[in-house]
Amino acid sequence: MKMKKMVKKMAALAICSTLVLAACGEKEKAAGGTAASGADPNAKTSISWLNILHTASPPTDTIIKKIEEKTNAEVKFSWIPDASKEERINTSLASDSLADIVTLTILDNSSVRNALKSGMFWEVEPYLDEFPNLAKISEDTRRSASIAGKLYGIPFQKDLARNGVVIRKDWLDKVGLPVPKTMDELMEVAKAFTEKDPDGNGKNDTTGFMDRSDLVYGAFKTLGSYMGVPNYWKVSEDGKMTPEFDTEEYVKAMDYMKKLYDNGYINQDFAVTAKTDQQQKFAQGKAGIYVGALFDSKNLKNMAKGVQDNMELVLVNNMTPTGSESERHIWAGNNGIGGLLSFPKSEVKDEAELKRVLKFVNDLMDDDMYALMTYGIKDVHYKVDENDAATIINQDLWQQEVQPFASSRPNETGYKIHDSDPLKAESDKLIKENANYAVLNPAYSLESETYSTQGSELQKIITDATYKYILGKIDLNGFKDAVENWKKSGGSKIISEYEAAYQEAKK
Amino acid sequence: MKDSSTAAVNMNMKTAKKERSKRTRLESLKRNKLLYLMIFPGVLYFIIFKYLPMGGLVIAFQDYQPYQGIMGSPWVGFKHFIRLFTEPTFFMLLSNTLILFALNIVIFFPLPIILALMLNEVRHKLFKNAVQTIIYIPHFMSWVIIVSITYVFLTVDGGVFNEMLAALGLPKISFLTSPEWLRTVYIGQVIWKELGWSTIIYLAAITVVDTQLYEAAEMDGAGRLRKTWHVTLPAIRPVIITLLILKIGSTLDLGFEHMYLLLNSLNREVAEIFDTYIYTAGLKNGQLSFSTTVGLFKGLVGLILVMLSNRLAKKFGEDGVY
Repeated sequence: MKMKKMVKKMAALAICSTLVLAACGEKEKAAGGTAASGADPNAKTSISWLNILHTASPPTDTIIKKIEEKTNAEVKFSWIPDASKEERINTSLASDSLADIVTLTILDNSSVRNALKSGMFWEVEPYLDEFPNLAKISEDTRRSASIAGKLYGIPFQKDLARNGVVIRKDWLDKVGLPVPKTMDELMEVAKAFTEKDPDGNGKNDTTGFMDRSDLVYGAFKTLGSYMGVPNYWKVSEDGKMTPEFDTEEYVKAMDYMKKLYDNGYINQDFAVTAKTDQQQKFAQGKAGIYVGALFDSKNLKNMAKGVQDNMELVLVNNMTPTGSESERHIWAGNNGIGGLLSFPKSEVKDEAELKRVLKFVNDLMDDDMYALMTYGIKDVHYKVDENDAATIINQDLWQQEVQPFASSRPNETGYKIHDSDPLKAESDKLIKENANYAVLNPAYSLESETYSTQGSELQKIITDATYKYILGKIDLNGFKDAVENWKKSGGSKIISEYEAAYQEAKK
Repeated sequence: MKDSSTAAVNMNMKTAKKERSKRTRLESLKRNKLLYLMIFPGVLYFIIFKYLPMGGLVIAFQDYQPYQGIMGSPWVGFKHFIRLFTEPTFFMLLSNTLILFALNIVIFFPLPIILALMLNEVRHKLFKNAVQTIIYIPHFMSWVIIVSITYVFLTVDGGVFNEMLAALGLPKISFLTSPEWLRTVYIGQVIWKELGWSTIIYLAAITVVDTQLYEAAEMDGAGRLRKTWHVTLPAIRPVIITLLILKIGSTLDLGFEHMYLLLNSLNREVAEIFDTYIYTAGLKNGQLSFSTTVGLFKGLVGLILVMLSNRLAKKFGEDGVY
């Protein structure tokens, strides 16, 4: 009898504890949906924002307070470090723990794409024209950022093509070479920087290039682009799609990299070098050529302060195979779309709420908000002259309080205020110029079921083979085998699905 | 007639026995109710955090989409299993995982035993303690730190080790990007990090060995080596077997963080293991169903290994873990 009682007690206890746990879950869910509903789009509201952080630590409250003041909203940021965005975004999607605004930068990730297509987020296109800044988003941008013809968020508008070559001008002068214009001249410079002791310390301790383990944002794609490699996909007149790695130009680009590697003109461990190491080593004067975003030059120069004080940099964006202007190409990263600001239906419950959040995003695109999120607070973080040239006056404070917001700006182009730093101004100019020669990815907004599910897996085959070819572990036949393997494992399906989608889109 | 009656008697005896055992079990339950109550939180923990989540494994048989949930996602049967077993990566994953597992067992496992025996022979107390403390330390460092230290030592561009090779006039070796060095680097790091820590249990086991046995062995004229071989080792044998079985069960899990940091495009053919694959396929590329399938398969391999080793242990007259 006593035993029975015991069992009953235990059962009761078990039930109680499950109830408590369940209650916990409930509460969390309730706290998620915060945005207050109301018909007035200007009403004070609270907005949560799941956002990507590109700096080491999240910002302090200073700028958030200003943003809140100007937008009449209470903003709560949840920051996701850029390095772990894939798993964090995917787990957030999987567990439905989102926010009113979700920054999605990895639109080609299969689960993100599926989530968008499934109708988890609001389709915003019908509302855009109600808001002055959002209405200004061009038709091209809207189309590029659409998935299966529908726009599931406000696109981040970025510059089309930001990459280029950064070279040590003082080293060029030392070895007596002009600023290179062709790929061969660039090779000459790399050779001279490696062999002619450009830093003059009497030791053979420099290389031409300093690259990192990134075939896209590192040197390979940009140099390839100068040599005529298509931007991921090439589409012929009759609508045939060819992946970039199935072209002659791609092989030529690999050969170029291979030559750099074999001759020691590039850091030998570039395949395992991280971006921070790359930049630090460049700043320490271990190499003289950096390929990446042109505005990195400002950063490199800042990092070199006190280490390589005589560093002078020259930016090059007009590299071609033979030097003729007509051959100029530069790949456009994501066709100028930095991602989407999306609004999940589970958090933004109705149209009125959606409009309030859209108003908030619209306000972020105002001139003064751009200045705030780029340079900070006037006379605290920066000063500005009569030509709207801004100079950061407190670098440390700016890095801590303002810099993290740079990647949260819905629009980065077309503002009057600009950086007074000559390198930054120069890179802005060249990036603008790049847009005229930008090569878009024709498949960017096309749909392929196979690419969505297996694309990133398949890409690994090509990435691995490219590295192996450059490092001489496989020959051309080995690389061709890898391409065949890619096709067999699903690549052919991707090609035919894209071709079908391309025809569909042309109609 | 006789047969059936004996059978009936047998039956009766069996049921009686059963009843008795039932009764005794109930009685023992009653007698030890406080003890049983004490395991209750533990059992609850296992049910909530280990058994209930296992229900999620059903998504291996679905095309799971988070917003549709388990109830709404379409069932696809063995689609993901077929994909796993027909993909060429499968054999690469299986062999890489098993080879690293074997290296862990064959090379790493005996080392702490040897080290513990050696430490046991050290007579100078202070020296022994100092050595023990120093070799524990790496255990408390995270893999990120250890892999970073290795990077600084082994990189071709100014790595300490390669500079030494160069100074000796030898060619530099790209340890970090060549598939043939990966396993050496891997096992070297495991040894460096975990060796000292793993000796603790053996050292504890050695201290309880009956000193009379040593005295008896000495009477028989055994030297230090003989004593170690014939007294210490047999005495800690059950501990060794238990640890071996536990190790086999957990080794398939050990690799992730460590391997993920070592993995790059050039050594993937030997470095990609189940754990890293599950992570990239599932969390980074969002193929939740497929990676669940991979995880389920890995779990099965681990279970089989544990059961085999347990049976083997029992065959050799040891206790096993269950």
